[in-house]
Amino acid sequence: MSAITSYLKSLALLELLGGMRVTIGYFFKPKFTIMYPEEKTPKSNRFRGLLALRRYPNGEERCIACKLCEAVCPALAITIDSEQRDDGTRRTTRFDIDLFKCIFCGFCEESCPVDSIVGTDVHEYHMEERSESVITKPQLLALGDRLEQQLAADRQQDAPYR
Amino acid sequence: MMDHLMALGWILIKILAITIPLILAVAFLTLAERRVIGAMQVRIGPNRVGPWGLFQPFADVIKLLMKEVILPAKSNRFLFVLAPMLTLIPALVAWAVIPFEEGMVLAQIDAGLLYVLALTSVGVYGVIIAGWASNSKYAFLGAMRSAAQIVSYEIAMGFALVGVLVAAGSLNLTEIVLGQQGGIWNWYFIPLFPLFIIYFISGVAETNRAPFDVAEGESEIVAGFHVEYSGAAFALFFLGEYANMILISLLAALMFMGGWLSPLEAVPGIEGTFLAAPSIVWLLLKTMFFLFLFLWFRATFPRYRYDQIMRLGWKVFIPITIVWILVVALFVVKQWLWWAP
Amino acid sequence: MEQLIPQIVFYTFSLAMVLSAIAVITVRNPVYAALFLILAFVTCACIWMLLEAEFLAITLVLVYVGAVMVLFLFVVMMLDINMDLVQQRFARYLPVSLLVAVIMLIEMLMVVAAKNFTVELFPMPAPHPLGYSNTEALGELLYTKYLFAFEVAAVILVVAIIAAITLTLRKRPNTRHQDPSKQVQVKKEDRLRVVKVETDTEYGKHT
Repeated sequence: MSAITSYLKSLALLELLGGMRVTIGYFFKPKFTIMYPEEKTPKSNRFRGLLALRRYPNGEERCIACKLCEAVCPALAITIDSEQRDDGTRRTTRFDIDLFKCIFCGFCEESCPVDSIVGTDVHEYHMEERSESVITKPQLLALGDRLEQQLAADRQQDAPYR
Repeated sequence: MMDHLMALGWILIKILAITIPLILAVAFLTLAERRVIGAMQVRIGPNRVGPWGLFQPFADVIKLLMKEVILPAKSNRFLFVLAPMLTLIPALVAWAVIPFEEGMVLAQIDAGLLYVLALTSVGVYGVIIAGWASNSKYAFLGAMRSAAQIVSYEIAMGFALVGVLVAAGSLNLTEIVLGQQGGIWNWYFIPLFPLFIIYFISGVAETNRAPFDVAEGESEIVAGFHVEYSGAAFALFFLGEYANMILISLLAALMFMGGWLSPLEAVPGIEGTFLAAPSIVWLLLKTMFFLFLFLWFRATFPRYRYDQIMRLGWKVFIPITIVWILVVALFVVKQWLWWAP
Repeated sequence: MEQLIPQIVFYTFSLAMVLSAIAVITVRNPVYAALFLILAFVTCACIWMLLEAEFLAITLVLVYVGAVMVLFLFVVMMLDINMDLVQQRFARYLPVSLLVAVIMLIEMLMVVAAKNFTVELFPMPAPHPLGYSNTEALGELLYTKYLFAFEVAAVILVVAIIAAITLTLRKRPNTRHQDPSKQVQVKKEDRLRVVKVETDTEYGKHT
């Protein structure tokens, strides 16, 4: 008996029609899709995007060439050369980040004793030549200068948890 | 001499009048597929190229045509190039006997139904030859699966069509449609309901569409018979598959849903208005409904396992169709029909 | 002009058919041979079309090209035929094959001899009136005059199918196989048992 009813049920395609009812229901539902370049989802203040170097409010660069970030970088993306400046402080002469190697893990930011190297929330960037993948110290500082307000606000917001 | 050339030219114009809208329909069907499946997955789908993404198919076509056609080093060059053509040509040639309205048909032949059936079965060669000529195991496996599947489902489909021809008493597609005149209850999908369902499901299997797309099986055999194809050659396979989908839908509309006849034909009060008049618009609307079903199936059902496909074809569909042909034949012989003209 | 076009068409298709038929038995690659056979069938269907036998022509394409040759190709493509071995055996089987060939040739000559195909015996068929359906005519003939022969042929074919299946179907006890008809009958209740597990640790009681 149960065999006959199950045959009749499968011949009536009830399960298939049930499935089709589900999909047609979703067909008319409002869509979740975000129209990307025009609409964007909010980003966390801890977002780790393109790296940048910050300065103190008086314009002095923060980096003291301790090379902790170079040491901690798991992808070996950071290359630093340093030298003593005329005023006796140690400063970097070269601070290169290879974006092809960088995995955006944020270890450099964690290791930095002076909050110099930071992850910005920039994740939309491109390069047109392979050589452009290495960004140099002036570029990193310029990016930091441009986003300083946002960077400072993000660090401020995160300060209680650090 | 001049007469012959004129006649030839006229036929060529008619052929173009069928194929160009068909190819455009294929183009927009690909877009519709992505939009419909997107909507069923709560996404939007392509909407960037042109208004509502309407130019997306052209962007895709241009991309495919610009790409390189790669000939695998160990493939059989001649057959490799021949295969996409063998898929596309039967898919297009079958349209010669399709009537779009009374008298609006390229070739009015009596055995129209058989002709369509023969050409859809020839289409399988493109797939088999593509699989063999590619000299790739995935392509070959896909071709074998597809060949076995198409041959099995052709039988069920053929029997479903036999039911239609018993009911209509003709193999001519125009006469089959005209036999359904007189209101929606005269359409063959009511007396032939099981055959109608089986015809459409077999049609889905014939065109290798989901949930019967084991011939492509992305997750098991990469893309089946057309793994090695790229660029324009791949585009031809695509065109053939979608043209076949439209053909199956149009045939379902012609044979079971009254073709170009209006569903409101016998509704009192509107006789003589455009709503009750037979028109190509009705045929296109019905075709679109079936095409939507194709997309709806693809968005809903997971892929069938191969042995279950074979079981469904041989052990379920063929017995049901044979029984129902007998039932229909009994109805016709005993004159119990309410749908007879 | 009226005569010329059908003649051109006829000779084109005849030539293609004869050439492809020769190719079937001369090409080395079995897949090519099968494909040439398909070409021969299709051209043959076109010639039948010229004879106004459209039902037979389309059925030839439908049955032979659409189904039988697909299975042929299916098998031929799967086989890895060693041509050397085939050629070695050629000499061994030559006497037997020659005998068979000669017998078949004599039989064919008896039927297809020139005296059986004179113009007197086969005059140009009268053109059919409009609306003549060759499908209907064929059906009527098959189901009235030749009903017995038709049914006998059907029975022989069924017997052949059953014989082929019984010869090849071996039920090997140690092979494992699935039975889809049983698998689709399975319900959740047959397989799944929800068990209430008592949790006695301090940690478990919280959850």
